[in-house]
Amino acid sequence: MTFLQPFLLWGLPLISVPLIIHLLNRLRHRSHPWGAMRFLVAATRSSVSNTKLRQLLILLCRMAAVAALCLFLARPLAGGWMGWAVSSAPDAIVILLDRSASMEIKTGGVSKREQGIRLLSQAAREFEETSHLVLIDSATLMPEESGRATNLMQLPATGPTDTAADVPSMLRAAINWLIENRAGAAEIWIASDAQRSNWHPDDPRWKDTIGQLGSLTQKVRVRLLILNESGDANTSLSLREMSRRSTAGKSELQFALDLQRNRPGPADIPVTLTLDGVPTETQAVFEGQSLRWRRRVDLGAHPAGGWGSFALPSDANARDNTAFFVYGPETAAHAVVVSHSPDTARFLQMAAAAQSAQPAALMAPVQFPAASLDGCSLVVWQDSLPQGDAAARLRTFASEGGVVLFFPPGAADGAQFNGLGWGAVEASEAPGGFHVLRWNEDEGPLARSEERISLPLGQTEFPRRQVIAGPKNVLAAFEDGSALLARQNLGRGEAYFCASLPTDDWSSLADGPVLVPMLQRLLQDGIRRLQPVSSSICGELSAVDRAATWVSVNSTEPKDIRFQAGIYKSGDRLMAVNRPAAEDDPEIMDSGDIKKLFGDLHLQMLLERKADPGQMQGEIWRLFLFLMLLLLLAEGLLILPAKRPRKANEAATMKPAAQPKEQMV
Amino acid sequence: MAEDNQFLDPKVLSRLMHLPLLARQAMEGSVSGQHKSPHRGSSVEFAEYRNYVPGDDIRRLDWRVFARTDRFFLKEFEAETNLRCYLVLDCSGSMRYGKSGATKLDYACRMAATLGYLAAHQGDAVGLVCAGKKTFFDIPARRNPAHLKVILDTMAKAAPRGETGLLAALHDLAEKVKRRALVVVFSDFFCDLAPLLDCFQHLRFQKHDLALFQLLDRTELDFKFDRPTRFVDLESSFNLVTEPAAIRDEYLRQIWLFLDALREGCHEFAADYRQVVTDQPYEKALADFLVARARLAAGG
Repeated sequence: MTFLQPFLLWGLPLISVPLIIHLLNRLRHRSHPWGAMRFLVAATRSSVSNTKLRQLLILLCRMAAVAALCLFLARPLAGGWMGWAVSSAPDAIVILLDRSASMEIKTGGVSKREQGIRLLSQAAREFEETSHLVLIDSATLMPEESGRATNLMQLPATGPTDTAADVPSMLRAAINWLIENRAGAAEIWIASDAQRSNWHPDDPRWKDTIGQLGSLTQKVRVRLLILNESGDANTSLSLREMSRRSTAGKSELQFALDLQRNRPGPADIPVTLTLDGVPTETQAVFEGQSLRWRRRVDLGAHPAGGWGSFALPSDANARDNTAFFVYGPETAAHAVVVSHSPDTARFLQMAAAAQSAQPAALMAPVQFPAASLDGCSLVVWQDSLPQGDAAARLRTFASEGGVVLFFPPGAADGAQFNGLGWGAVEASEAPGGFHVLRWNEDEGPLARSEERISLPLGQTEFPRRQVIAGPKNVLAAFEDGSALLARQNLGRGEAYFCASLPTDDWSSLADGPVLVPMLQRLLQDGIRRLQPVSSSICGELSAVDRAATWVSVNSTEPKDIRFQAGIYKSGDRLMAVNRPAAEDDPEIMDSGDIKKLFGDLHLQMLLERKADPGQMQGEIWRLFLFLMLLLLLAEGLLILPAKRPRKANEAATMKPAAQPKEQMV
Repeated sequence: MAEDNQFLDPKVLSRLMHLPLLARQAMEGSVSGQHKSPHRGSSVEFAEYRNYVPGDDIRRLDWRVFARTDRFFLKEFEAETNLRCYLVLDCSGSMRYGKSGATKLDYACRMAATLGYLAAHQGDAVGLVCAGKKTFFDIPARRNPAHLKVILDTMAKAAPRGETGLLAALHDLAEKVKRRALVVVFSDFFCDLAPLLDCFQHLRFQKHDLALFQLLDRTELDFKFDRPTRFVDLESSFNLVTEPAAIRDEYLRQIWLFLDALREGCHEFAADYRQVVTDQPYEKALADFLVARARLAAGG
């Protein structure tokens, strides 16, 4: 509960006044000689329990009436959203709005995002005069002050996007704003659908963020509006894999799409494929709630390159119905292996061989700055991390879309590449060495094959490894949590670190079932460096791409490549931007897990299943006024005498007892 | 004498003088008076005719009736005798309740003295019993006008203290007074009801005419106290601190239960019960009492 006149709460100690009066009244007794003591004793004995209870109730009614009066004068604000915590109006309210694509699912024609911002703006209306209202949306993470709560709904930063949300980053942005602006007592209001992929509950940033929130000098409360309505019937579509294959002079595109429904049961869903503006419709047959749908599209008249999309009919969420793709001309790419050790490099050269079966070129590290990287999509670096010109060249290569894969040099050094470096070499005395426990099979170089067959990474032995030092995105990890394969984005490309070597004394990677597909996939990924087309995830555009000017190709209306999926063109480059596949993930955080994330921090949560703005926030002084009147009425009823046995005045009239004449003697 | 005594008010006496103090039943007296006697004989008040039986005094034969009917009839007359009136004052501590000079005992003494004066004035014998555990006077009934002074002086000496001795005094009176008498009790009757009713039964069994004046203070009936009070028992050292407003209803219920039961008990034993609140003039209480008895005697 919040109060518009909190200083009037200082009157709350007045609730003790009835109690004090009662006690004083008991103390100031006087002595009185009394003759009819037998009736007094009997009355005291029989009425003591009822009387005490009645007195207690009267006292409680009086005290509660005084409390209700104080609360009524302090003009309380409350609702299901605000809970019952007593607080004054905060100096600042930072509203964190989840604008992820999953928030666009509609219930009764209203999306979760619209519902959330509507409820929050209505709640914030009470604080327009007393608090700063600041909006931080998940797409931009930029704080934006809003003078009026009603303006929140009109702000561009509250519109729909195809991005994902990163709640820890939003909280971090809120903390930064609070620190930079030296706000006083503050509240952070979060509106989200609690999608697990947006909340990242396992992210170590949570601990730091919550710790920092708790250590702020000002008092900060967090109020969380969970919009967990399941929404109307909806089907989502996302592009998982796409590759171009040419066989016998025939070129085709191979797609793997994931379709997911929020209603169980079989169904036929029409899917419209648009290739360079020409639509064709096919049926996707559902037997359950999810479907991995594979399609081959003969390019025929479009051998060079182009764009297209898969689209579903309109449903509850319009943002998850389309997946965009671009494809470029057939491009031959090759890899370069940089190593001092020809024996080690031999396996890598073979595994990274080009489609022409030509092994990858080998060069020494000193040769790399001057080497030509034309037609190269993958650089495999097995040596101490590059410094100076070599490092700069590698960064440029990756930024252009190429892939750099580092293997251990076999000895620790202090060098780093993009924040990552090599640590100590470790050997396992256990039979079979280190074992890989988990790896990302959904995407990346270790993903399952088209036939959904996993790579035999669990059977691969790693007697030795070299620790990958620095913050990283781990794609595969050993049993003890140490990383086998880590990735860092670098411009349009990526840098990978692999913790073991394909030699007998390091691992059994040289057997090939893991190493070959891994390097071949990285070789294919790097082809984007050589092609004028590329794909990206909405909201995860590289700095280079963000700096470029992009024009929407698939829509006549102007679109912002940072927030909206689609086909964009910048110069002669085409880019397909899709919403993050994790936005289709139906897993929702439960309230218990969310409370754990916030630890001891003051958190109030509202599970907003029913869209009722009245539940959010409102002045409730009427309630306390009514309560006070009710209490006074109850007190009045309690102090009324239960019943009079007889009026004492009757005694004044002297009535003789009836005298039965027959008894007269 | 009336002018000298603190309990007698000449104005009240002059107003009540014309009202006789009559018994509700026949009395047994030693001399003639204005009260009916259970005995028949020669008198001025005709009673009835009855048939002659052998042994009757032939001097009481009505010869005129014999001349008319040729049958023997005896003419009987009602005897009229004097009254023995015993005034019983409860001298327990609870009778001390009330304002100074206007306690229940003071009120009782005024009533008793006035009644005694009226009885003595019409030639009846008056006795006094002051019943208290610590104060006990027993003055037998006598017709001597000077006896009234003794009674009034004894009343003046009566001091209400301690528990009541009323029950023992009434039993004693019932046993001691052999002839029918009018017993007038002035008390608040704040004692156990069952033994009290036993006393009444005992007195009625001895064929005494029983008149009861229950004297109550106004505060004892309405119990209006506005703040916590320590009530100190007038008959013992017991005291009780309580919130009167909290127990008022229950107190009133208890006292009215007692008063109703007492009234019922008096009705059962044909006692002339009267409840008197001490803020009312005692003259009115006495006038009502005397008028009611006069009407009863006149057959009204």
